[in-house]
Amino acid sequence: MDEGPRRTSDLIEPACGLVPLVFGAVALIGWYSGRSQLASIAPGLVPVEANAALGYVLLGAALLLRTGPADRRRAALGAILAIVAGCIGLATLAEYVTNVDLGIDQLIVVDASGIASHPGRMAFQAMLSLLVMAGSIVLHGRVGRVGLLRWGLALVMFALGYYALLGWWFGAREVMTVFGLGPEVALATTASAFAVGFAGLACRHTPSPTSAVLSRTPGARTARIVVLAGIVGVPIVGWITLGGEGIGLYAARFALVTMVVASAILVAGVGLWVGWSADRFSQAERQAQERLVQVEGRYGGLLEAAPDAMVVVDGRGGIVLLNLQAERQFGYSRDELVGQPVTNIIPTGFAERIVADDLRSAKDALEQQIGTGIELVGRRSDGSEFPIEIMLSPLESAEGILVTAAIRDITERKAAEEKLLQTVDELNRSNVELGQFAYIASHDLQEPLRMVASYTQLLSQRYKGRLDPDADDFIGFAVDGATRMQRLIEDLLFYSRVGTTGAVLGPASSEAALEYALANLRSAIGESGAIVTHDPLPTVLADKAQLVQLFQNLIGNGIKFHGPETPRLHISATSTGDGRWAFAVTDNGQGIDPQYFDRIFGMFQRLHTREEFAGTGIGLAVCKKIVERHGGRIWVESGPGEGSTFRFTLTGSATTP
Amino acid sequence: MTVTGGGSYPVDVLLVEDSPGDVRLTQEVFRESALPINLHVVADGVEAMAYLRKEGAYANVPRPDFILLDLNLPRMDGREVLAHIKGDEGLKLIPTVILTTSAAEADVVKSYELRANAFLSKPVQLAEFQSLVMSIGDFWLRKAELPSRRGG
Repeated sequence: MDEGPRRTSDLIEPACGLVPLVFGAVALIGWYSGRSQLASIAPGLVPVEANAALGYVLLGAALLLRTGPADRRRAALGAILAIVAGCIGLATLAEYVTNVDLGIDQLIVVDASGIASHPGRMAFQAMLSLLVMAGSIVLHGRVGRVGLLRWGLALVMFALGYYALLGWWFGAREVMTVFGLGPEVALATTASAFAVGFAGLACRHTPSPTSAVLSRTPGARTARIVVLAGIVGVPIVGWITLGGEGIGLYAARFALVTMVVASAILVAGVGLWVGWSADRFSQAERQAQERLVQVEGRYGGLLEAAPDAMVVVDGRGGIVLLNLQAERQFGYSRDELVGQPVTNIIPTGFAERIVADDLRSAKDALEQQIGTGIELVGRRSDGSEFPIEIMLSPLESAEGILVTAAIRDITERKAAEEKLLQTVDELNRSNVELGQFAYIASHDLQEPLRMVASYTQLLSQRYKGRLDPDADDFIGFAVDGATRMQRLIEDLLFYSRVGTTGAVLGPASSEAALEYALANLRSAIGESGAIVTHDPLPTVLADKAQLVQLFQNLIGNGIKFHGPETPRLHISATSTGDGRWAFAVTDNGQGIDPQYFDRIFGMFQRLHTREEFAGTGIGLAVCKKIVERHGGRIWVESGPGEGSTFRFTLTGSATTP
Repeated sequence: MTVTGGGSYPVDVLLVEDSPGDVRLTQEVFRESALPINLHVVADGVEAMAYLRKEGAYANVPRPDFILLDLNLPRMDGREVLAHIKGDEGLKLIPTVILTTSAAEADVVKSYELRANAFLSKPVQLAEFQSLVMSIGDFWLRKAELPSRRGG
């Protein structure tokens, strides 16, 4: 049963109830007051018997009660009233059948008119209509076969009532006997049967052949107009035609022809109108359908063209729609998935995100997830699982907010990530191994080298000048080579230690580190007469020992590669604004040709011969390694004869060491 | 009863060293130093303990006044030898100095824990080695007061 919102059509049934109520009441008043014209409603008509009038009052009230606002007690009371009215009818029926006076005829009012064979007994048709009306009202709201029976009773009542009413209206009194079934029927009976029958046909809430006419569709509206034109328009045409003849405007034949033509015009006109509106309606419907197909096609095309699997899910986590990619990805056919819970293909992490819980509504739940790529696990029809990434977006629909999930198979990406991690792992391991190798190699190489160096030196000590000059030279080269190799190995060892044995970075005063470095360089500074100055220097995040080494190497270089003047060095630091400091070690030395800027930071790279400057060329490589280990950058600004400025960056520290 | 190391009699020094090059170098440098030293040499830890306990062929060797011990030795390494010496009532008073190529912090700490009397790294340069040997002779055999081998 359609329990839609209340509409004006819901007032039809209660209004129909007023007809028997009012007619019955008026007749009863007529009986009690002795005014017979009231009992027959209009002058010259058969009066309605008092017990029938009482029945109509009861039925009118019953109809009002049973068709008004839904309420069990009202409905029950209405049924009781209808049953009482029905009992009056049944008793009368019994009298007709058995010909025994049950005392029902003059139950209320004693009819002393004596015009009828059975004084006070209602007409046979009135009795029938009382029974049918009562049955129709008691069965109100019933569906199925009983509902259909109720509808059939209403149709019969309506048709007979309509027929008799038109007879009264057109002055054809013989029609009011309704097929001559008995005596003439009272107007109250006719009107009541018509009204209750109409109410039974106009019941919107119970499905029946006529209830569809009361719906709001354009077709129902058209049907209502046609029905109204038939049952109201045609009688009006007839009445006008008959009226014209009655006052002598034209003859009966003319009247008949006129009425036929008028009726034909009415029917044809309505037919034309129905046809036109049906056409217009179907055209509009076709357009709407085309648009729908278009939109669906476009959306469907969009869905199918999407590179990702798309699954549309409702607020309860049920799958509403999916595309071809989704079918392929999960190994299901569309029919197997639509209507199923999304947990069939995404066991965890998805439904929980979109389904509302105690803390949030479905809308809020979804809004929290919009646009975020969520990595989950998908499950295929064969039970195998694969990594997926889903992106959610809301989709407004008639069924509420749906969720469109774009699902991407990220197996390959995951594999690539894994491979990358593995590669990084391997790289790290090989770096560590390389560092260990450098350390072990240089350490173990020292042992035999010590032998070579020691014995060549012993040879040199004991036999210098005692052999020939060539022997002295050869021994000299051997000693020199061994000594240099020792230094190279020491430097290599030192360089490898920068990465492998560095301490954890912590707040370190760069000024204190500089002072340490200057102390270590005391003899070099003293010998060269170098003047080293510095600005106040900040606290940085560093390995203090390596910071000392950094300053020592840079300042040592500045002194070593001095120009013709007294070496002057200045150390300063400026904040770069992003929490870092840029240090500068400026000297007035020989300067460096820009083409060598990259080379000087390499391992064992030298710009001078050993005769000019001693050293292995490891100093700046160590500086670079130290700075890079601290997450900084080192570079040089210089030119030949201009002096050099070595710059490097370090991260500042808010806390003091 | 103690006597000063600077007596006229020669001092017996045990060198535990497996590298022939190092043995010879040490011998040469000691010879050049002209210190009154009898240098006895064993090549591994097992030999060293046999020497110190006068076992087998070492029944008649003199008890050393001073031991120079390398850490990396075949069969029984220097750390074990050191542990045995310092755990032996009859030997623990003999000054034992570690002389090795290792300068690893762990080795230094371990050696002192085992009560080594000093830890020295073999210098890379011959001249430094020579001065080291001179220092050993000067400090341990001349200046330091040592328990007498005869009084022990």
